[in-house]
Amino acid sequence: MAELLQALVQRPNFVVFVILFLWGIYIMAAHPNYVKKLIGLYIVQTSVIFFLVAFSVKDGATVPIVFAELASLEAWAYANPLPHVLTVTAIVVQVATLGVSLALVSAIYRKYGSLDEDEVLKMLG
Amino acid sequence: MSSQLPILLFLVPFVTAVSMPILCAKRRSWCQPLTTGAISVMVVLAVSNLRVVLSEGSIEYAFGGWTAPLGIAWLNDPLAAMIALTMSAVALLTLIYGRLVVSSNLEKSAPYYTLILLFIAALIGIVFAADLFNVFVFLEMAALTGYALVGAAGGSALVYAFRYLLMGSFGATLYLLGVSYLYAATGTLNMADLAIRLPELMTSTAVVGGLIFVFLGLSIKMALIPLHGWLPGAYANAPQAVAPLLASTITKVALIAWVRIEHSLIAPGVEVRHVPVLVLLEDIGVLAAVIGGALALVQTNIKRMFAYGGISHIGLILVAVSLGNSTALGGGLFYLINDAVMQATLFMIAGAVLHYHGANSLDDLKGVNNRSPWLTGALVVVAISMVGLPPTGGFFGKWNIVLGALEAQHFLAVFAVLASSLLTLGYFLKLFSCWFHHPVTIEPEQLEVAGSLRLSLGIASVTLIVLGLMSDSIVRVLLDSLAGGAT
Repeated sequence: MAELLQALVQRPNFVVFVILFLWGIYIMAAHPNYVKKLIGLYIVQTSVIFFLVAFSVKDGATVPIVFAELASLEAWAYANPLPHVLTVTAIVVQVATLGVSLALVSAIYRKYGSLDEDEVLKMLG
Repeated sequence: MSSQLPILLFLVPFVTAVSMPILCAKRRSWCQPLTTGAISVMVVLAVSNLRVVLSEGSIEYAFGGWTAPLGIAWLNDPLAAMIALTMSAVALLTLIYGRLVVSSNLEKSAPYYTLILLFIAALIGIVFAADLFNVFVFLEMAALTGYALVGAAGGSALVYAFRYLLMGSFGATLYLLGVSYLYAATGTLNMADLAIRLPELMTSTAVVGGLIFVFLGLSIKMALIPLHGWLPGAYANAPQAVAPLLASTITKVALIAWVRIEHSLIAPGVEVRHVPVLVLLEDIGVLAAVIGGALALVQTNIKRMFAYGGISHIGLILVAVSLGNSTALGGGLFYLINDAVMQATLFMIAGAVLHYHGANSLDDLKGVNNRSPWLTGALVVVAISMVGLPPTGGFFGKWNIVLGALEAQHFLAVFAVLASSLLTLGYFLKLFSCWFHHPVTIEPEQLEVAGSLRLSLGIASVTLIVLGLMSDSIVRVLLDSLAGGAT
């Protein structure tokens, strides 16, 4: 138990990630409101992006641009750019998802006049 | 030139999609011919790509000349080439069929055809991608266009499209999480590179967790029971012209992505904490195959019945690829190609029945007395293939799966194949008893169906039989491809 607690305290980033991830899932599942469900989905997606950024942090590393003066390439001195590239791509995907989902939600609202899933399902019969 | 074929296969629909709103801004009637033209070009390219790959072997396509693992690569092997051909051919068939049933507000809408082309381009991307993150991007591209296409029907489809979006995006997020675990543990995203680094890390919690998240994410995308909730509603409410395209492609392509990961990363007999991974996957597949078939049997809506049939087949293919021997693997992949054609045919028939007779449920079918011989013929052929009788492709797929299961001495898998076949027979009997409910009168007034429907149904039925007759060589090619591709 003490070991587990120590492990958790040493990794606050990952604790935050887990909390955000589960919180998002809870919102998605528990709220009947379509927009709130979307917010839940957005929190889940953001938590994964946060995780990607969190594990790629490197103490004392600099931007991955190699200067000509450097005699030898020392990998430890540079941050790994790849997780950040993945993050940017994932954010773009997330924005596209948000666009499509908001379009769908507004179409549902125009059609059924409600954003509440229970009411809409009742109207569907 | 021939080495550029995979990227051309992607670019043809993609460039057409992007230029569609400009080209067709003034001339709305050009949309449909332009889309058909682009997809026909794709079919030609896919055929020549398959020929090139069969004669020259697998080719790794490195983008911008940066070879993997530093750069991004596509793997152009016989499996990918064959699936790409299947996907583009099925897309062409459903597009020809779509002329008949497409609703008037979509018929001349440039956004609709743009979405279809983007969807197909994304499928090609998933099939060729040799990189976990590429698979994610293309899966999301296919899924986003898929949500929009389902929602294009308006009305109740919007609600089901939204449900599909919530589950699909959550699945994609789980997949991304799994990929980032694997990246954190190994430092690479390339599948071939991962296959070298993973075996010694199989004890690491991060790797196992990553694989579990990747599997969960992809299972939502491939609608593996119990994560199938989005599928029946989405397919039953999607626009008539879209349902066959979605049903025959998106779940199969997600499954192909998982087969690639499973085949290259999980060696047969690997155990994690004394749990044999492949046997576990096989059991999940058995459950999906049997439960999916049983759920299909209790449906009264025709489209929902076919949708559950497709879900059951996904489980069957997962069983086949998890048995760990080449006979079953070849059978499973061959069955996957068949399943794409069968699902397209089934949803085309269901759409045509709704279009001509207004029949949505089995009870509606009982009142139909002017059945078209084209519809009946196609339904009989596809039923024979779904149940798994020779000489159709479905039989040879299931035959190889059963042979592989016997070889591996996994009798549960044999049971799954047989039980799901019996359940399939069960729901087709139910369907046929309604279909032939009305006795044919002495002078039946025959229904003249449109030429585009005849063409697409005819080609699909012939394809199912031809696939069966050519099964041996196709299975061999698929196996050679995977044996050569594995490291």
